[in-house]
Amino acid sequence: MPVYFDNNATTRLDPRVLEAMLPYLSGPYGNASSLHRYGRAARDVVETARAQIAAFIGAQPSEVIWTSGGTEANNLALKGVTDLATPSRVLYGITEHPAVMETAESLKSRGWGVEPIAVDHDGVILWDAFAAQLRCAPVKLVALMRANNETGVIQDLGDAKTLVHGAGAWLHVDAVQAAGKIPVDFSEMGCDLMSLSSHKIYGPKGIGALIVSNEVEITPLHHGGAQERGLRGGTENVAAIVGFGVAAELAGAELAARTAQTLALREKLESSLREISGIEIFGAASLRLPNTLQFALHGYDGEALLMQLDRKGIAVSSGSACASGNGEPSHVLLGMGISYETAKGAIRVSFGKDNTEAEVEQFLTALKAVAQSR
Amino acid sequence: MIYLDHAATTPLATEVLQAMLPWLQEGYGNPASEHTHGLRARAAVEKARAEIAALIGATPEEIVWTSGATESNNLAIKGALEFRGARNAHIVTSRIEHKAVLDTCRHLETQGARVTYLKPDASGRITAEQVLQALTPDTALVSLMWVNNEIGTINEVETLAPQLRERGILFHVDAVQAVGKLSINLAQTPIDLLSVSAHKLYGPKGVGALFVRKRPRARLAPQIHGGGHEQGMRSGTLPTHQIAGIGEAFRLAGLSMTEDAQRLTALRDDLWQRLQVLPRIHLNGEDASRAPHILNVSFEGAEGESLRAMLGDVAVSSGSACSSATREPSFVLRALGRDDELAGSSLRFSLGRNTTAQEIELAAARVIEAVSWLRSLSPESKDSASSAIAGNGGNAFGYAEPIWQRFSAPTHVGELNGEGVLTAEAGSPAAKSLLRLQVKLGEGAVAEVAFRAYGCPTAIAVGEWLAASLIGQKPADWAQLTASKIRQALEIPDDRAHCALMGEDAVQALAALFSKPDLAS
Repeated sequence: MPVYFDNNATTRLDPRVLEAMLPYLSGPYGNASSLHRYGRAARDVVETARAQIAAFIGAQPSEVIWTSGGTEANNLALKGVTDLATPSRVLYGITEHPAVMETAESLKSRGWGVEPIAVDHDGVILWDAFAAQLRCAPVKLVALMRANNETGVIQDLGDAKTLVHGAGAWLHVDAVQAAGKIPVDFSEMGCDLMSLSSHKIYGPKGIGALIVSNEVEITPLHHGGAQERGLRGGTENVAAIVGFGVAAELAGAELAARTAQTLALREKLESSLREISGIEIFGAASLRLPNTLQFALHGYDGEALLMQLDRKGIAVSSGSACASGNGEPSHVLLGMGISYETAKGAIRVSFGKDNTEAEVEQFLTALKAVAQSR
Repeated sequence: MIYLDHAATTPLATEVLQAMLPWLQEGYGNPASEHTHGLRARAAVEKARAEIAALIGATPEEIVWTSGATESNNLAIKGALEFRGARNAHIVTSRIEHKAVLDTCRHLETQGARVTYLKPDASGRITAEQVLQALTPDTALVSLMWVNNEIGTINEVETLAPQLRERGILFHVDAVQAVGKLSINLAQTPIDLLSVSAHKLYGPKGVGALFVRKRPRARLAPQIHGGGHEQGMRSGTLPTHQIAGIGEAFRLAGLSMTEDAQRLTALRDDLWQRLQVLPRIHLNGEDASRAPHILNVSFEGAEGESLRAMLGDVAVSSGSACSSATREPSFVLRALGRDDELAGSSLRFSLGRNTTAQEIELAAARVIEAVSWLRSLSPESKDSASSAIAGNGGNAFGYAEPIWQRFSAPTHVGELNGEGVLTAEAGSPAAKSLLRLQVKLGEGAVAEVAFRAYGCPTAIAVGEWLAASLIGQKPADWAQLTASKIRQALEIPDDRAHCALMGEDAVQALAALFSKPDLAS
């Protein structure tokens, strides 16, 4: 049986979500912006889904803006806040997803100062250095991820709001990987913007959301049409929106069970891996997502390992799916001060709600076989 | 329900759903992943890319996936200008473009760009000559739709493309309403950037594509940054099922395009033929060549909102769905010489692959009935009151029940003649509503009453409610029929409060006539 341990790249659509989507794929086909009956029916389900997302993440429905996914949400956040503002600085965590990092870097051409925020060897923000960095010149926006997609390292953002707001800046949190794996509450966290993606929580691909506090003004990325209060033009992707709503509701209801189940698998894998010599587990000293484990086997190339594991029917990743294939080690690990050689050996295992202990055994057997065959 | 709004969105083809389902089930891998799950998904993405390319005469490497045509248009226009680093460049576009193009251009104007918005000619299209005359030495981009989404006119993009190429000016075409309807061959037509959408062609919502020419290469700055997907032009995890869906939709379109075009043209012409039993109607775009699936007609003397409300189970559109919430008068209709009122009384019928001859026959009958009835209600009508036929399709737009009941089944429409009839009018044609109330007194109270009205359903309901309320009322009590009482009784929302005021005005005018009978003559 094939083993899928790449749930941080994408998850399998939950059959309950598919069932909810089907009537809107094959049934009433109104454009949600049309006024006639089909259109109004579509509008109603879009608003129901918005309320589901809001309840899931602790926000108001009016704070939820649909996007085509996490990448667009991050782009909308960073560009939307800075577009009409007088350029000052944008700061982002050095281990951020490329959707944040590359977007932030693109702002340089618009006159913005763009600076990474350093992390320690375990991937945790160096808070004192960050506080000093905030003070040295005006800042408009700070982007920090709730949890890292590769290492699973969780940032404790408890004081981030106070620090960032103290500097007169907005706080954007990329919660794409954290949502559905650990509790994430937009209003409790006190951040101003937050990105979410559906396909990381057993929802469909092609849909995500940006949560924007009612106090923050942003400009649209896609102009045209009055959808999403003018902040995001384009005909609503009704079926995907319905699916995302249901996926979020399920993620909220099943959070504790999913956490317990994936954590048990990870602990089993982690303790077994520690028995293999030459293993380095990244972010080991940090609080990490319950489902994520990234490690390197010294002397092995991560890409080659993952190909060999794939041949044995096991799907894992070397890091972010977006950056895969370019042969370069992960900027996340390099940002943590991991050596180039070690980083090139990285393997990420990310469990999902349907993985089993037997699959962990299968993985360990395969890994040992691959390692010995070298 | 007769669905004639295919230019807004189309039903998903059964084959398309079948093509999507595997990627919503077992095929859940991320197309960017390097393992088997990912590679399988990537193969589906590339197969779909080839289908898009095949339909428009492009190569697969020239197709960039987006979340839909709005994003395609944004990426094309902003991306092209940003790549050139020419913030203050000149753009030529037209006033009849989709909002995605117009709003993007307006945004670029705030950043320093100069934009020429061409007006359509008297036939409702943009000609190559108009565009060429608008060019300036610093024109960087021309953005023009192939087929107008409201009236279906075909702009002269094929004539224009080689002329712009000769001048080295980038040419973007919004082909959302053209692809799958008209033959497009980009190997022959030197367009640089071309936007398409899936859900207008029996594919899923939430996916589209932008053609970006390789030779000579059209270069774009990405508008969504991230993992560097789509040759760095558009980042974000690719939605495999959506892409498989657009691929299948475009494949099907290629198979049936010729046949569809012939059939839809015949049905469209049949619909127009049937509607012509009505006097005072206008085919918009009559003098230009038009896409096969769109028919846009203006109906004099039938207020637009009431007309749509009456056609509840015939889904048509008044202009583009994207702007119907804001009810802005249509620019293209005004360019054709239709005033705001007539533009508001226009319907867009857009036919689709599943539209049948029977549906066209039925829809025509319903429209004829509705227009005739609304005209017969009007104070300007010479017709005798016909029996109420409104609301066959039900309350599709969600009017408050007291409004809907009186609008859909009025029983006091008509005229009173002879001695002692008091006739009062309120409202104005300029405000798009007019109410005429007539009463005849007997034994000190209203014995007979009749009304006529022109306007939205609320205005007509106000007339009916007042007529019913006046029966048996002594003139001294008429003053109780205030605007706030009318609003309360009919549950009139704030944005229609003026209809209640019109009602109050009419009653006050009646009272004035009663107290000064010499005015009544």
